[in-house]
Amino acid sequence: MKNAIGLILNIDCEDPSLKEFLQHRSLSTLPFGGRYRLIDFTLSNMVNSGLSHIGVIGSNKYNSLVDHLGTGKEWSLSRKTQDLSILAGANSGRLGHKMKVNLKDLQNNRDFLETASGEHVIISPPNHITSFDYRNAYEIHSQNNSDVTLIYKKDDSTYHLHDDDIYLDLYNKRVSSIYYKKEQQTNYFFTEMLIIKKSILIQFLDLCECTGDWDLMDMIAINLDTLRVFSAEHTGYLKRIKTLENYMKASMDLLEYDIMRELFLEKASIHTKIKDNHPSIYRDSSSVSHSIVGSGCNIDGTIFHSIIFRDIIMGSDSQIKNSIIMQKCKIGNHVTLDYVVMDKDTKISDYTTLIGKPHDPIIIKKGTVI
Amino acid sequence: MNTECVAMLLAGGQGSRLGDLTINNAKPAVLFGGKYRIIDFPLSNCMNSDIDVVGVLTQYRPYILNNYIGDGSAWALDQIQGGAHILPPYMGQKGGKWYSGTADAIYQNIDFIDNFNPEFVLVLSGDHIYKMDYSKMLCFHKAKQADLSIAVMDVPWEDAHRFGIVNTDEEERIQAFQEKPAIPKSNKASMGIYVFSWEILKKALQEDAGNRESEHDFGNDVIPMLYESNKRIYAYPYSGYWRDVGTIQSYFDANMDLLDPYCEFDLTDRNFRIFSNNISRHPQFIGPEAKISNSLICDGCIVCGQVEHSILSHDVRIHRHNILKNVIVHTGAIIEDGAILENCILGGRARIKGDVRLIADELESVPQIHVINS
Repeated sequence: MKNAIGLILNIDCEDPSLKEFLQHRSLSTLPFGGRYRLIDFTLSNMVNSGLSHIGVIGSNKYNSLVDHLGTGKEWSLSRKTQDLSILAGANSGRLGHKMKVNLKDLQNNRDFLETASGEHVIISPPNHITSFDYRNAYEIHSQNNSDVTLIYKKDDSTYHLHDDDIYLDLYNKRVSSIYYKKEQQTNYFFTEMLIIKKSILIQFLDLCECTGDWDLMDMIAINLDTLRVFSAEHTGYLKRIKTLENYMKASMDLLEYDIMRELFLEKASIHTKIKDNHPSIYRDSSSVSHSIVGSGCNIDGTIFHSIIFRDIIMGSDSQIKNSIIMQKCKIGNHVTLDYVVMDKDTKISDYTTLIGKPHDPIIIKKGTVI
Repeated sequence: MNTECVAMLLAGGQGSRLGDLTINNAKPAVLFGGKYRIIDFPLSNCMNSDIDVVGVLTQYRPYILNNYIGDGSAWALDQIQGGAHILPPYMGQKGGKWYSGTADAIYQNIDFIDNFNPEFVLVLSGDHIYKMDYSKMLCFHKAKQADLSIAVMDVPWEDAHRFGIVNTDEEERIQAFQEKPAIPKSNKASMGIYVFSWEILKKALQEDAGNRESEHDFGNDVIPMLYESNKRIYAYPYSGYWRDVGTIQSYFDANMDLLDPYCEFDLTDRNFRIFSNNISRHPQFIGPEAKISNSLICDGCIVCGQVEHSILSHDVRIHRHNILKNVIVHTGAIIEDGAILENCILGGRARIKGDVRLIADELESVPQIHVINS
């Protein structure tokens, strides 16, 4: 993997269901799973696969990204031999179908691509929940002397497919066609992760400079006959977070032991920003079951089937069920929450009851006091 | 380089009274309160007191300790000038030797201290649990124009015979020392925290090194010598939580203090935080059948059984149908289906089979603490 560099894209999520959470942060830094941000999964997967030079394209809401990644120390990316670059994205003015990989974003960061040592670029969006080793895909890419290797997943009903998903036709591992609308003959959807030869990518960027905005995927699709485009399968757990429904489902998936084990225990670990928190304190009258709990919490109440982030203070005689409580929330005494998603730094006063619906949880915006 | 105060942290002791907990590990590196190690407390105190040069004197089983301290960045000691320095015994042209006492350890590192040209040297030990702002003690030392200040605290009279006891006048100047006296004259006990004026200490260490009869110990040799020569020795009064965790019982009790909501020692206080060299672990997974109350639990744990009044370090696995009560579990221990444990300390990576029953005898007034090592 010494010969490859990692590039994590920015996604401007326009889905209205996540709007409340994305006013102050990019999709990549949406809190997830008790202590993580979405980007931690892709970034850790890249580091754990042996990539040493990784670029992350930021959105216009840089603050949360820069604050979260810092120098990259927590991902071992602050060494003389390994580094993290936070890159500027382009403002895409183009309407119509959303681009998978906006070449303008890459054009902006041509310097990074050209100077980083490595002949191949591994490109991934920041919103995948998976524990994935890129080495297998990279091996297929190298063995076949591919120009591009697209990582796909077999479509079964458990996956949340989206309108803008791309499907592949495969012939002996080679990609024979790429298209947007699902047609009957294929079960293979593109995970939006790919490996591309840097020289090919630079050629595309040159082309793009003369001809305007391009999506890398369109460019690959058009040149499919002349390029060597191969495929590699992603087999494990994968969830892509694009809507609130995806987010809730993927969060609650963590409460299933087998999924939690695959993501956190079986392979290398997922890293995130470390905080100096005390161990979580479970008080005398607390009763917690079937939940994920971060560090630094002070719990005195009943919690069931919920995701509790770091630094939560919860009063006595309170109940939390089926909810996601992000970091630094304070919940008073005699509070009942069911199907609620609380963004960070929110406060719930004593004797409050909030009950949402499974498909329509109550969302409490960052910093709100109720 | 000029630094006002250099801290020297004595971390070379074996802690033999902690028995199995220090087989492979120096006492200051023993886990405490789940995620912490004992040395976190003095190091965090240094950080909270703006002391940025700390020499850590190591000798016994130093690997885990050295590895843990690393570059000191966990305590903001990774700055360009100063920082954390690990100081093991070394060889020189005339040979070398192990540190033969607390004073000898500092004596052998006079060059290190001189590098920073300090006015004061703070001597700490790595086996106490407490929070203290050393900068206040330093102010006291300067205000009294002392040669040596010793932090003291009032202990219950009935316990006074276990400590080094000092008598003071109204100005807090020390008038007499009694080491573990049968009949104590006061209940002011030394906490093993000293501020010396470096010039005075350096001379005293050089003189002590030449004394063949000396055991090169601060409490027994160097401080009595300074007292005999009429140096200005003051007692800095401290009040607050302070525990020596030198025995299994005191270690167990101090851990359990953390679970007492009325205990004055507060880990959650953001204004005086205890920092540690954190490891990155997944959040706690609490299983559907778990029951947890009155406990401290760290990241990386998977808890599926019943945990009551206990402390779990990182990566502990508690399978189903267990009952744990008053148990301290160190990193990576696994407790299989069905075990029942009371009043235990489980060492790192211990594995407890499902048929194990360790139940406290209610007839014992002080229940026995079982230590189970990996």
